[in-house]
Amino acid sequence: MIKRLKHELKVMKAVAFVTYKEWSAYRTHSLVSVFVGPIYFIVQFFIWTAVYGNHGSLAGMELEQTIRYFGAMGLIGYLVMDFADWNLQMLIRTGKFLTFALRPIHHRFFALSQKVGHRILGFFLEFVPCFLIFSYIFKIDMVPRYPVWTIISIILAFFMNFYMNYCLGMLAFWLVQANGIRSVFGLIAQVFSGALIPLVFFPEWVQKCLFFLPFQYTSYVPAMVWTGHYVMGGISLTIPQIVGVQAVAVLIVYGISEVIYRLSMKQFTGVGA
Amino acid sequence: MRRVCEIYKVCLKTVFAQAAAYRANFILSMLITLISNILFPLITILIYQKGASFPEWSFWEVILIQAIYTIASGLAASLFSGVTWATMGHIKEGSYEIILLKPLSPLLFLAATNIQLEGVGVIIGGMVMMAISLANLGGVGIGQWCQFILLFVTGVGVLIGLFLIMAAISFKWVGNSRIPEIFESVKTFGKYPLSIFPKAVQGIVTFLIPVGMVGFFPASALLGRLDLKAFWAMIPCVLFMLFGIWIYKKMIALYEGVGG
Repeated sequence: MIKRLKHELKVMKAVAFVTYKEWSAYRTHSLVSVFVGPIYFIVQFFIWTAVYGNHGSLAGMELEQTIRYFGAMGLIGYLVMDFADWNLQMLIRTGKFLTFALRPIHHRFFALSQKVGHRILGFFLEFVPCFLIFSYIFKIDMVPRYPVWTIISIILAFFMNFYMNYCLGMLAFWLVQANGIRSVFGLIAQVFSGALIPLVFFPEWVQKCLFFLPFQYTSYVPAMVWTGHYVMGGISLTIPQIVGVQAVAVLIVYGISEVIYRLSMKQFTGVGA
Repeated sequence: MRRVCEIYKVCLKTVFAQAAAYRANFILSMLITLISNILFPLITILIYQKGASFPEWSFWEVILIQAIYTIASGLAASLFSGVTWATMGHIKEGSYEIILLKPLSPLLFLAATNIQLEGVGVIIGGMVMMAISLANLGGVGIGQWCQFILLFVTGVGVLIGLFLIMAAISFKWVGNSRIPEIFESVKTFGKYPLSIFPKAVQGIVTFLIPVGMVGFFPASALLGRLDLKAFWAMIPCVLFMLFGIWIYKKMIALYEGVGG
């Protein structure tokens, strides 16, 4: 067991390193975030400062927490960003997936390792500069209230985002061209992950539904853990409790991805690749 | 000029024929483009539902700004976003010389052959939002409509300028698909009442990168809240669009094709 684990770690390290090197060639691509991230943050800062006006709190969130929320949301985005769905769909459509089906490595693990390398680069080129800009130029206190829980929650969000996108990418085994569905899903995920506005601003019945959907676990939960206070749909959980719920949600989505993967393998033909 | 109009007409016919050939794809793309463009009023709706507001701006006034922004974006994107993406693609592929060999201005050729009909959905969506807002805000005089049209056209010009600057940058910054993200982030300032931003920011988005002209000033004209000094802001907008055209033509010289 330990030997297998060591081997998998070695494979992951190798794939992640190659991906890191590959994307390092396109450094400026990542560095765009150093401009874009702070601009979006400034806009949110002014919007919410104006909206709060004389309100002490809105939807149970104070201005300071909301500002930290948007800062955290931007930073977390750099760590969990993923396009496994696009990649997998492309491999299936072009038939290139066949080469992965023949390799002695599960494609999902390969894709996850690639994502690790890609996001390590994102950590250095996007997360760190933006964190410093938010903290030292905008003077926002961006230090997580519970650093260890925040790191765990972000790692879980990283997995959640990846498994969700991987499930979405696997739709291409049936649809071949799943661009439309991917776009629709992307829109729904953007709204219901809390990227546009904290989910507590939605009507309570929507919040209750969202508690059972995977979207909040990719962004909203880690952002709220970062700010140190989680509440949604009238449900207030302690930080360890919500991180525990997030872990269970990740396991469920992982299970679903495994089931779909097995069904997919029966579906894949790879003719002409 | 007549020749240009003829070419544009033929290209437009081709675009319609393409859309008609892949109807389902066209309708789905149009819907997705529409939904993704009208997402930001959702934030306004949720904010006002919680009893908060943008100071001195009613709910329908803010929605009007965002509706006008949506229409202007849809219109500019339909006409010129294709120029940006096609230029980026041709430069990356090394096939821009095919455009240069045409007996027509490259900019005109790309604009005519890359009309994005999906933007029509956004325009219609924006117009519906605008009609609902105006119905809730009361009557608008002819003078206000005239001011609105003048400012709206100028705002569309600003967006066209932005598309052309993005395309021009891609001659130097080859293959970076994130260039539009940079401009998209700056455009965000134009989606909300300018009065919520500090004076320095207001100055920048009125005179330097005049995205305030896209939604805020035309909406203010319709609402009768326009400071007549705002008409001075049309000058930098026109200059901005002209700069976009100039820089695009200038940057073509940087193109290094190796045979496509």
